[in-house]
Amino acid sequence: MALLSFISRRLLQLIPTLAFILVVIFVLVRLLPGDPASAILGDRARDADVTRINAELGLDQPWPVQFALFVKHIVTGDLGNSIHLKVSVASLIAERLPVTLMLTAMAALIALALSVPLAFVAATRRGSLSDNAIRGSFQVGLSMPVFYVGLILLTVFGAKLRWFPVGGFGTTFLDQLYHLFLPAVTLALSLSAILMRNLRSAIIGVVGAEYVDFARSKGLSSRLIMMRHVLRNALISTVTLLGLQIGTLLGGAVITETVFAIPGAGRLMIESIYGRDYPVVQGLTFALAIIVSLTFLATDIVQAWLDPRVAR
Amino acid sequence: MKNAVTAALSAALIFGSGSAAFSIERGGVLHYGRYADSLFLDPVLNDANVDIWILSNLYDTLILPTDDGKGLKPGLATDWKIADDGLSVDLTLRQGAMFSDGTPITQDDVIWSLKRAANPENGIWNFLLVSVDDVVAKSDDGITIKLKHTDPAILPALTVFNSAIMPKKPFEASEGSTDAEKAKAFAEHPVGSGPFVLKSWQRGSTMELVKNEHYWGKGEDGKPLPYLDGIEFNLLPDDATRILKLQSGEIDGAELIPYARVAELKQAEGIDMELFPSTRIADVIMNVRPQVDGKDNPLSNEKVRQALNYAANKQAIIQIVTHGVGTPMSSYMSSATPLHVGEGAVYPYDLEKAKQLMKEAGFEDGFSTSILILAGSQDEIGTATALQQMWAQIGVELELQQVDNATRTQKYRDGVFQMRAGAWTDDIADPNEITSYYVYSKNIDAVHSGWKSEKADELFEASQKEIDQEKRAEQYAEIQKIYNDTGPIVPLYETPYPVALSDKVHGFLQIPLGNNVFRAAWMDKQ
Repeated sequence: MALLSFISRRLLQLIPTLAFILVVIFVLVRLLPGDPASAILGDRARDADVTRINAELGLDQPWPVQFALFVKHIVTGDLGNSIHLKVSVASLIAERLPVTLMLTAMAALIALALSVPLAFVAATRRGSLSDNAIRGSFQVGLSMPVFYVGLILLTVFGAKLRWFPVGGFGTTFLDQLYHLFLPAVTLALSLSAILMRNLRSAIIGVVGAEYVDFARSKGLSSRLIMMRHVLRNALISTVTLLGLQIGTLLGGAVITETVFAIPGAGRLMIESIYGRDYPVVQGLTFALAIIVSLTFLATDIVQAWLDPRVAR
Repeated sequence: MKNAVTAALSAALIFGSGSAAFSIERGGVLHYGRYADSLFLDPVLNDANVDIWILSNLYDTLILPTDDGKGLKPGLATDWKIADDGLSVDLTLRQGAMFSDGTPITQDDVIWSLKRAANPENGIWNFLLVSVDDVVAKSDDGITIKLKHTDPAILPALTVFNSAIMPKKPFEASEGSTDAEKAKAFAEHPVGSGPFVLKSWQRGSTMELVKNEHYWGKGEDGKPLPYLDGIEFNLLPDDATRILKLQSGEIDGAELIPYARVAELKQAEGIDMELFPSTRIADVIMNVRPQVDGKDNPLSNEKVRQALNYAANKQAIIQIVTHGVGTPMSSYMSSATPLHVGEGAVYPYDLEKAKQLMKEAGFEDGFSTSILILAGSQDEIGTATALQQMWAQIGVELELQQVDNATRTQKYRDGVFQMRAGAWTDDIADPNEITSYYVYSKNIDAVHSGWKSEKADELFEASQKEIDQEKRAEQYAEIQKIYNDTGPIVPLYETPYPVALSDKVHGFLQIPLGNNVFRAAWMDKQ
């Protein structure tokens, strides 16, 4: 019950957060110098064309009128049409956002698969050669820029060895997973370094705790102690960290999507900001804000499950 | 003007270029890597090169540009004649030409398409057809374009993407109440008149074109064009990835190769590194208004502008930025633009002369100024950094302001800039487009520079109606002299279009106006 009321409390808190985000998105996008008409028509724009296009887009209306319309549309689920691509923003988000989410989820899974066992090995053999080797190699992964790692992977595993396609996105689900593997590894490398270091220190901290000594004195097997007492407690901070990193992962996806030519939301966002495509920027930011908020909520729930004191 | 005989001869020679020595193989899908996706495939309402440069594959025009981008050859019209008084053009339509859905292309379609393109309410390209007064049917197989005044550029204007022929009935039957809404709906499932037709489009990823089975053009083997079964455009925004994908054989061609990679790809096995002649120029545009932001503007002084021109070492910039691929501009328009005049750099590098001019202008001690450049553009950053060092030698301190494109356009349009890096590509095989933007003060204030020459304005207005080619060439020679001597720009360099193709690909062409022509492209099967 405590968990349920905790979840409903957190859900209610989402409403003012999202309302605030709506205002911020609306204002920020309009504070950028340059209007959509200038971005559409570019250097060759004539004044008459700019005025005509701004009027067509309703951008000649005062801000409060535009904002009222924007909120009305959001509430009714209508995100408007892209100024540049002439298609509905909802369909664009439906096309592009799942691709980015798939990439992010795959990267998070790969990062966990890499970091949890290796952190375990490093923590339990603290100071050994394997600990230093693991920490050293992750440090290299962390310090290399994403676009550079991406290009190296593409060159070696794509162009030279031909194990993976050189960028692009498949048509069937399996084909898409295949195409997303290298970009997901690229994103996962820096994330797993952060997770591994955090989890390693957490495990070291927990292993020394009194309740672990107590469990050991009860005669529990070391495997059971590690799984039930050490890992579960050590994971709490790592889960929080992973949740917080989702925003960073989504940001990192912009570069990865460009290098690997993946038609995701990250690239759409950048192109729309450059093009001052207000409806797309607004709609996509709002959708991303919902996803990040829900991720934080999920993080809290997992935390509450791992540590019931959180929900109280 | 062309007569029927030359038109017929040209028709026989169309599409033959570059592939005569090979025995052509039909079939296959050509995968082509593009740097950016298209936005809106409507010939009239589009506004970007990413659309313009592929539209000719989907929609044919009445007249087609020749491979060098300067001449005319028959398209959906087989013959044309300008009336003696220059106030109308008769065109004979190609018999038996069909749209991609198998319906015939009628006089009605042609009249409707041209009127739509000339409508000042539609899009930003109607100025190319500003002389069109009316379009009417003529006998059974032709149309007459009636002009408000004589227009020496009317035939080249009929080769431009916006005057492409579209099917009236399916367009008008499309959902929506306005032309823009119908165009949006129609563009989702277009019926075209070009050699290919859109099959599918995953925005931001791939676009598939398949051959138009009803296309009128004939190949060298006497069978219908195109040779290819289709084209797949793959969106690959990262330069390095686009090249890797070509090298791994996953695509057959890649556009916009960075100049830094050209030499390497010329040596690469299995790759043809093509440098197609273009009308692309790069320059620096100066704001020449007496005051900018409430302060006196040294750039309003003609001698200062000349000094900056002499102090800019174009050859060095060409080496730094284009890795030697570019050539110095010899006028404000590219050397591939008809009626271009000039040889060698407009202002050859001469530091002493630059210093002397600064002294004469009263700026012996120099001054500070700034340049707007596109954030992240290696070419513009390279150019501006080089100019910063070159101009420091005449005491001019140049501040680099990196901004994104929309910000730059806004500042530029508002006239609140000192200098900006600029670039241009022609859309029409005529000097009038670039001149109307760069020189003519009544369009956009001579590229928003505030520069004005009454003489140049008069000459341009006269040239827009002058149908005597010799007289028009003289007018353009004079316009170029005035502008190059006193104008608001630092002309830098011209560059070709760098396209890397697999050596299996033949017959592909990017014409100087930028159009990617796949009509006669074919691939070795092996």
